[in-house]
Amino acid sequence: MNWLRILTIGGITSYRALFGWTSPWILVPSLLVAPLGQILLFAYIGRASGVGSDAFFVIGNAVQYSAMPCLFGATSTVVGERLQRTLGILLLSPAPRLALLLGRLLPVLLNGVGVALFGYLAGSALLGVPVRVGTLAPVALAIAAAAFGCTGLGLINAAIGLRLRDTAVLSNILFGLLLLLSGADVPLDALPPGLARISGWLPLTHGLAAARSLAAGGGLADAGPALLAEVLLGVGYGVVGVTLLRLLEVRARSAATLELA
Amino acid sequence: MAAVEVDRLRRDYRQRAGLSGRRRPAVEAVRGISFGIEPGETYGLLGPNGAGKTTVIKVLTTLLLPTAGTARVLGHDVASRPAEVRRRIGYVFGGDRGLYDRLSAFDNLRYFAELYAVPAREQRRRIGYLLDLVDLADRQRDRVEGFSRGMRQRLHIARGLLHDPPVLFLDEPSIGLDPVAARTLRTTIADLAAAGRTILLTTHYMYEADELCDRISIIRGGSIVAEGTPAGLKAGVGAGSVLEVSGRGVPAGTVELIRGLPGVCSVTVEERAGGQVLLVRTEPATQLTARILGCLDDRQIGTVAVRAPTLEDAYVELVGDQGAA
Amino acid sequence: MTRRALRLVAVTWWLQLRMMHRSAFDGVMQLVWPMFFATTALLIYRVGGDPDALTYAALGASVMTIWTAISSSASAILRRERGFGTLELLVAAPAPFALSVASIVLAVSTVGGYAIVATLLWARLVFGAHIAPDQPAVFALALLVTAAAFAVLGFLLSVTVVRYRTVWALGGALEFPVWLLCGFLVPVALLPAWVRGLSWLLPPTWGMRAVRAASAGQPAWADLAACAGIAAAYCVASAWLAGAVLRSARRHGTLSLS
Repeated sequence: MNWLRILTIGGITSYRALFGWTSPWILVPSLLVAPLGQILLFAYIGRASGVGSDAFFVIGNAVQYSAMPCLFGATSTVVGERLQRTLGILLLSPAPRLALLLGRLLPVLLNGVGVALFGYLAGSALLGVPVRVGTLAPVALAIAAAAFGCTGLGLINAAIGLRLRDTAVLSNILFGLLLLLSGADVPLDALPPGLARISGWLPLTHGLAAARSLAAGGGLADAGPALLAEVLLGVGYGVVGVTLLRLLEVRARSAATLELA
Repeated sequence: MAAVEVDRLRRDYRQRAGLSGRRRPAVEAVRGISFGIEPGETYGLLGPNGAGKTTVIKVLTTLLLPTAGTARVLGHDVASRPAEVRRRIGYVFGGDRGLYDRLSAFDNLRYFAELYAVPAREQRRRIGYLLDLVDLADRQRDRVEGFSRGMRQRLHIARGLLHDPPVLFLDEPSIGLDPVAARTLRTTIADLAAAGRTILLTTHYMYEADELCDRISIIRGGSIVAEGTPAGLKAGVGAGSVLEVSGRGVPAGTVELIRGLPGVCSVTVEERAGGQVLLVRTEPATQLTARILGCLDDRQIGTVAVRAPTLEDAYVELVGDQGAA
Repeated sequence: MTRRALRLVAVTWWLQLRMMHRSAFDGVMQLVWPMFFATTALLIYRVGGDPDALTYAALGASVMTIWTAISSSASAILRRERGFGTLELLVAAPAPFALSVASIVLAVSTVGGYAIVATLLWARLVFGAHIAPDQPAVFALALLVTAAAFAVLGFLLSVTVVRYRTVWALGGALEFPVWLLCGFLVPVALLPAWVRGLSWLLPPTWGMRAVRAASAGQPAWADLAACAGIAAAYCVASAWLAGAVLRSARRHGTLSLS
């Protein structure tokens, strides 16, 4: 039972502790206004260049923007604790590490899904893109898979946060790479071959493809392989992240860098 | 003309709470206080955390507007003529903040010298003089991020003196300093006072106020509860003595019993690690030690000492909890 | 008095720049972040296949990097001053607060200068976007005036941060709308009519037109004058706002809150 409590109550409490300083005046601009701005920007670039359609750019950027809360949120689970000097205390506690971690990541994931869904619906409304009600649930599932993948990547970033101070920079770079290479705005077949190969190994790419096909009315069966690929990538990144966390934790404890001075 | 005049100063804070933005009731940080500081005087504002000391200084340094009342520095109103006030004051606060970590000590002073309109021709000489004064000349090219707290504090003082202000506001300057650094700082402050500067010092270290200040106000909950010279405040506590008994598990009833003894002026109980300390202030020419100890069970008594009252006793009596064990 | 003000601006600009150079990561981010967006946009235009459109986008991308440097840094810098504990010292100093803030924004805008050069080179080397201004001097002037216009907007943003602590988040969120409204990557004519009015109210929109005109060898002076004129009006409004906002911060005690 303790495992479950740490996962749920512990997770929500830590989320509030790390992000409770925010107010609507911070959350609304960064999580609601900014993605809409990005959606509109690229939709109009598409119109000006004659590439894609409004629907293409709406769903592409809405899903891609979920990387922002997922990457930063996942990173904060470690770096935020480090800054507040609570990381050492946390690691010393007998609480099962996996429960601690998953509890912290669950709200992050839900946040990402919420942001993407908002972007998708609001962006569609602003640009007059029709959204079929029947596609909402499957699209939400694809978004969840994409956010899962991003959160996994964020965990690797979090591990690096045990070593580096400026993980925000890395998060921004990852966000930019996902913008460029996930197919959110640039069709994958328009990417240089080398870069296109990398796309397949990045989070978001498969989830986004699934989301697009589901939004267009395609079936879950067709989108299944892409969804599975996204989830597996997320798990893979997560495993790498957890392993890295363990390794770097040991190093940080011996080098006395667990807490930022 | 007084250097600093504060007349019925009030300062409230309104807080907005949480997502709903509901307003909480206003917090009265300063409740209508009045005091004056003569030119060349070192004036102390003593009080516990949250008493309103920093708020008073921030009003006087023009960072906050008064909610009511007036405050003047060298005749200039802090609310309506902030620019005039700013030219004539130095503001130094304790702690790690207030300096640019990525700049050297010299560059920090250079930056603030510009902000304080120190003439270009004089800057180098003045900065050099101040760095010598605070004993940082050999570290002037080092980045502040590597400075200890004591060094940062000394650099703060140098910064506050760049434009040679006649009035200095020092807000808890020795907070977090080790005893040696704190002593050095007190020497520096004493030298500044001896040179004729008017200083307002806030602190919660009694010995600091006792050593440095010509006059002291004790502030508690936003109001001044006592004002006078250190000697006067000590005398106010009484010429009697203080019986200090360390003990364990003294019941509240016993404390009340002691308080009721004739000749006992006050009883204060301090909780310390592993037990309590009873501070019993008695009137002069009374011998109450035996009677007081008689009220206590032998098992409850640790060490016993009799001494003269200090400023700390006056302070504790005025701002502390009086014996609620 | 003016000499003292100029000296203050010069010393602040120099020392702030020095501080910025010492945190290499921040500098890299100001450059790299907009480059991702510029590259994405250029890739989209390349798919579209119109070489003129590519040049159009490349010019716009180089200017848009200045706005990123300024919008994120201007509000962040004052937030950083607050975190350092030096914001109160700036206010408590006799130097006009507006001037101190303007000097910091100027330092930030200078970093934007690197961004222009880097983006133009990137567009040329990676995308073959050929930008050879017919009137190089006017082109450089147009870039400078546009950057100054951004600095004024950044100043407005940073002044608001003094009173409203969370405005820094707004700075980040305004990045994309400004790129869109000022016509960097998308012609203003494509935007809805009601939005176009907003575009014309923003000085960088005129600056961008001047930059494009100078690059194509067409008359740019009218657009430059409009940019400078509107920016000057914003400047006056910002200076007044600085006073009002500072007074409000002193009344509400928000200078020291982080």
